[in-house]
Amino acid sequence: MSVAKLDVNALQNEALILSKPEHILITYWNRLRRHRLAMLSLYTLVFIIALVAIGPMVMSRMTYYNFQQGQEVPYARDTQDLPNKSASPSWEHPMGTDDLGRDTLFRLLIAGRLSLTIAFTVVFLGETIGIFIGAVSGYYAGWVDSVIQRIVEFIIILPTLPLLLTLSSLFRDIRITGVPPEWSQAIVIIIILTALGWTGACRLARAQVLSLRNQEFTEASRALGMSDLQIIIRHMMPNSLPPIIVNATLGLSGVIILESALSFLGFGINPPVATWGNLLQEAQSKMHQDATIALYPGMLIFFTSLAFNYLGDGLRDALDPRLKL
Amino acid sequence: MTNYLIRRAFQMLLVVIFSTFVIYVLLNAVPGGPLSGIGRDTGDLKARLNSEDIARIERTLGLNRPFYLRYFAWLVGEDWIDEVGEAIGNPGDASSMPFTNTWDDYLSPTCSAAGGTNTGFDFSTNKPSPCGKGILRWDFGESWSLARGKTVSSIIGDRFNNTIRLMVTVIVISLAIAIPIGIISAVRQYSILDYFVSSFSFFGIAMPVFWFGLLLILLFALRFRDWGLPFFPAGDVVTRRILPGSIQDVLGIEKESAADYVVHMFLPVMMLSLASLASWSRFMRSSMLEVLRQDYVRTARAKGLTERVVILRHAARNALIPVITVVVFAIPNVFSGAVLTETVFNYPGMGSLFVNALSRNDWPIVMAFLFISAILVVVATLIGDILYTIVDPRIRFD
Repeated sequence: MSVAKLDVNALQNEALILSKPEHILITYWNRLRRHRLAMLSLYTLVFIIALVAIGPMVMSRMTYYNFQQGQEVPYARDTQDLPNKSASPSWEHPMGTDDLGRDTLFRLLIAGRLSLTIAFTVVFLGETIGIFIGAVSGYYAGWVDSVIQRIVEFIIILPTLPLLLTLSSLFRDIRITGVPPEWSQAIVIIIILTALGWTGACRLARAQVLSLRNQEFTEASRALGMSDLQIIIRHMMPNSLPPIIVNATLGLSGVIILESALSFLGFGINPPVATWGNLLQEAQSKMHQDATIALYPGMLIFFTSLAFNYLGDGLRDALDPRLKL
Repeated sequence: MTNYLIRRAFQMLLVVIFSTFVIYVLLNAVPGGPLSGIGRDTGDLKARLNSEDIARIERTLGLNRPFYLRYFAWLVGEDWIDEVGEAIGNPGDASSMPFTNTWDDYLSPTCSAAGGTNTGFDFSTNKPSPCGKGILRWDFGESWSLARGKTVSSIIGDRFNNTIRLMVTVIVISLAIAIPIGIISAVRQYSILDYFVSSFSFFGIAMPVFWFGLLLILLFALRFRDWGLPFFPAGDVVTRRILPGSIQDVLGIEKESAADYVVHMFLPVMMLSLASLASWSRFMRSSMLEVLRQDYVRTARAKGLTERVVILRHAARNALIPVITVVVFAIPNVFSGAVLTETVFNYPGMGSLFVNALSRNDWPIVMAFLFISAILVVVATLIGDILYTIVDPRIRFD
């Protein structure tokens, strides 16, 4: 083989492709995959989400024998079966029925849709808004910082209970057209919980950035001509991520519980519409009769929160810019 | 720094006053209110109050005042209302001035009887002053419904001791455990110890607090009793009656001794510590992991410092920033208590006082509580900011 026959162009192309760095998301993914517990948690979360998304669709096409109506009926959230109330687990009702004869499993699954949507959205929005405002506050410091931090203090001072009671009287009847009523309630809840919930992330991010802004790499970026916004988004926010991830993972189950406290005040999503929060609350009052009712929603909240915590732990490691592999 | 502190103090004052104003608006906007159940619409004619009675109650509580006057009377007292009012002139709206059609109607009856002023009043008898002096002069007023006629400060004083004892213990214990745990599990990342500690704290985080409290009572108070072990008290602050076989009986603890308080705090402290311990150690671990990979830690090692000094003096100090952010917000809780824990353990603290006052529309207590909490929140953030500059000299405020 002579040298002349070599396709130099092809070689160059190959070399260029090889030297092209792999996409950053792929790097993160590869790092995350090494974290076995985080992967297990990711699968668990995907499984839970798939369960609540697909489960009710499948079940509503299946039927069970309803004693009250004397015929086979499809599973539904509100279909009662009084002669068969508080039944113990059976083939037709794997988790039994509640005190109105409604299928517990179906209610639990359909409740998960609302609860998980609210919890994940609130945590994601709250932390994202918080980290951005916090980074801006810490980066500019001076009067910008003063104004933002005084607003944060103000929001922290506001008492949750009277505030929610007032808001509940204002927004109780709000309906977003084209959306089912429980989902429009969910949107209002998401907005309110986010509006009150970004302050923690903001304080954490700001404290990190206050320290980062005086480090050499920030000065270097400024010298390279990056704009303030670029520095904030490219350098300040990613570098203040670790405590934010911890904060987010801590917050998830809190949001689910808070949502149930809201419905207790008559503001959240009320029965017959089910959420994990209000199922748990319902179960508490009946706990001395049947402790297993509280077990199911409690376990689901517990496992979701646990899986999210482990995943957050793995993500923290995977996204760490100083981690070299 | 002095300049900064002065500016900061001024801002803090503004935030507190603005927040209390908004809270006052909120309380007034909440449907219901102090007079909601007062029988205007009961069917029972004997129980029904006539409008004169209602007017008298409104005047006693100061609810006949226009809103701005209500807030200012709460803030700076009512002994100025008639003088300033007369200087402005009679507002002329007689509907809310049922008695004399003058500004005098806006004074509480005791204040009106004293001539609208506190001057010449004999304070030596330790009675509350006839005219409210306002919260800025540290007069929180009298309770409306929870303990009618008692001053708010005396009501809070009783509960406050219980709460501060509980919360300070919890914070000290949690900090003393959480920070070492966080450091160790970061230094030995992915060791068996780290997995164990992580799983333990995830468990603590994912567990609903009240449920854990109920389990504690079930085990330490009820099951221990069944098994014949020395069982712990399930509630209250001190022993009323020493039960045979209880831990007070076994250890010979006297009623209302220091040990008696400790025994009663055991379960609530355990419940509260688990939650804060779990989350604080996570923050410590996460930021410690980040700091350990930084260049100055390598430099410190290269200088030949011992690993112990590198970790404790160089790394841990910088890693404290997120922990400080989270921990300073436990300061307001020292005052405000923990509602759920107090409910579960029937512990008479500030948290349950606040919830009771809120549900009974006892605004003087609610407002006093929120006012002090507000002060503590702004002070806590200030302490946090000062601590940042101490642990990380790169942070400066000026």
